[in-house]
Amino acid sequence: MKKKKKILTSIEPYLWLLPSMLLMAVFILVPIFEVFRISLSKVSKAGIVKGFIGLGNFQKVLSGSAFPIVLKNTLIWTVVVVGLSTLIGFILAIVMNNQFRGRKAARAIVVFPWATSLIIQAGVWKFIIDTDYGALNTLLMQLGILDKAANWTPTPAAYFAWECWVGIFVTIPFVMFCVLSGLQSIDNAYYEAATVDGATYWQRMFRITIPLVKPSLTVSTVLNIIYVFNSFPIVWTITKGDPANRTDTLVTYLYKLAFYNGKSGEAAAVSVIGFLILCACASVYMVVSMRKEGSDE
Amino acid sequence: MRKMVTLGLAALMAGAMVMGASAEEQVDLNVIAAQYGQNTAAWWADFVEEFNAANPGINLNVEVVSWNDIYTVVNTRIGNGQAPDILNIDVFADYVDDELLLPAQDYVSEETYGKMYESFLEQSNIDGTIWAIPDLASARAMYYNVDILEAAGVEVPTTWEELTAACEAIKAYDDSIYPWGIDMTTDEGQAAFAYYTWNNGGGFVDENGDWALNSEQNVEAIEYAIGLVNSGYTNSDPSNDTRYDLQDMFGAGQIAMVIAPNSLPTYVADGGYEVNYAVAPIPCNNGESVSAGVMDRFMCFNNDYSEEELAAVTTFFDYFYDDERYSEWVLMEGFLPATKAGGEAVAAADESMAAWVDIVGSSKFYPTAKTEWADVKQGVIDVEQQALLGEDVQTLLDNLQAEIAG
Repeated sequence: MKKKKKILTSIEPYLWLLPSMLLMAVFILVPIFEVFRISLSKVSKAGIVKGFIGLGNFQKVLSGSAFPIVLKNTLIWTVVVVGLSTLIGFILAIVMNNQFRGRKAARAIVVFPWATSLIIQAGVWKFIIDTDYGALNTLLMQLGILDKAANWTPTPAAYFAWECWVGIFVTIPFVMFCVLSGLQSIDNAYYEAATVDGATYWQRMFRITIPLVKPSLTVSTVLNIIYVFNSFPIVWTITKGDPANRTDTLVTYLYKLAFYNGKSGEAAAVSVIGFLILCACASVYMVVSMRKEGSDE
Repeated sequence: MRKMVTLGLAALMAGAMVMGASAEEQVDLNVIAAQYGQNTAAWWADFVEEFNAANPGINLNVEVVSWNDIYTVVNTRIGNGQAPDILNIDVFADYVDDELLLPAQDYVSEETYGKMYESFLEQSNIDGTIWAIPDLASARAMYYNVDILEAAGVEVPTTWEELTAACEAIKAYDDSIYPWGIDMTTDEGQAAFAYYTWNNGGGFVDENGDWALNSEQNVEAIEYAIGLVNSGYTNSDPSNDTRYDLQDMFGAGQIAMVIAPNSLPTYVADGGYEVNYAVAPIPCNNGESVSAGVMDRFMCFNNDYSEEELAAVTTFFDYFYDDERYSEWVLMEGFLPATKAGGEAVAAADESMAAWVDIVGSSKFYPTAKTEWADVKQGVIDVEQQALLGEDVQTLLDNLQAEIAG
């Protein structure tokens, strides 16, 4: 009887975990498996899977002239958006952590870009920078700064820079709130002690603030890399990756392959490539954080 | 209490079985239809009600899907082995390639089949078999802003030379106006390719129907179009300005001339624009203006039908293409009819449509019957966008031709 009870207590936690494990298996593992399967299959334009073709889809994707451009864009997009939004978000968090009048209102305003849907944000920015009916040109012309509508997007690179800016703009609030929560958990006694010892502002910043908010910064950066890498609405709404893939990222490119060109197999291959890149990033993070845990012990 | 619940459940189950039995006697007919406009879904809802009342043996079910989703919806259904019985969409060759469709004459009655314009039926011909029937069409022509052209002292251009001169004159008159609108976007860049190459004696295919993307005429045509952009005669961003952007700018008087479908007047009116415009043939370089036609279709998937089921499909098409009902539908959607009787009815109902019925009769269509069409469509858009970035048109088209025709 006692033994029976022991078995029950040892399997009990797993029983409680079972429903969520099942849900994860059905809604996460099955789709991932399906994408891998399609990426290794020949798929007709009408969507019928016509058997295994090995790495044929990957070969086609990798040998295409668009792929290097798209991969480069994706890396630039992820590094620039995550890097700059982290930097600006961090600075804003420090500002917002100070006592000043209207701090609550300021914090609420900073959340707006985050609280609005990405499609709306991207649509609004597309409207702002448009050469022919854009709000920016109208404003500058009304103010007398410009006498003729300026073309804010004369080259694909200019378009891409604007898209990166929109990405940064909508990502800042997330970083800011992560850092802010870290800042608020720092005990004021550290700063008081440092001030008594005669530490300068920068010394306090680099010796106290940054080391103590580092865990929140790491979490926000890892999550942001995943979100931004997979972000679709901004690029799609503003340029659809045009002209000639010059502003495509992996996600918009695979969408075009799947739903404009009917190449589901190649689209799945691009998806797998993106998945592997993210897995590599995530494993670097895991290795680093596990090593740190080991050295802490 | 429990007894009552049990009894109630039993009664429900029995009822369900009886209903199931009566439903089994009916033939189910599942249709996926494209959403052409705001009123499409309501029109089909009424249609289903009337049809089911008139045909008690058939249980018609029509699902109206937007153009943004229809390809994904249909492909997912096919992938899951749940293809619709009847599909209303633009493309068909990929389904034929996968042997999913029935030949049109297997399920369309002779009477209904005879109503269609021959040239339209021919657009769905693969290897001598007609695989789909046309549901409606639209055609393109040049719209111009009468006031701007008059103020700039320009005649309506009919040739490329006149078009260039007109652009120059309009630009000189007011350089805040774009003389000419060009759309080379992912949305519809293939249309631009058609407008210029067809009006220069070129096109997607040669006279044998083989891909001829890098012909001399095509290179000249695309270079001419890119030249208009580089001379500053067009909207500033042809890779991103969709046809709808151009139509808005035309409505606002910001573009003087633009190639657009016969639905432009409705679009401009709905947008609340007041612009004084007229319509003319697309300017050409070889003496013969060609309009671009776009045609959509009905097709029937091969779902191993019994005789009754196939008869239900035939009944559906006879009912839909009934002259009066069909004309009402085409007029409601603001497109051009695909049947002769429909053409007469539409021309009689609206004088301005009469000219369009003639235009669509002589239009050229995209080679959608060829399986490489999806690749060609994306390929020519890519060529245009690369050419806009300054790459050589001849090289780009040579590469595309090599990629497509092997």
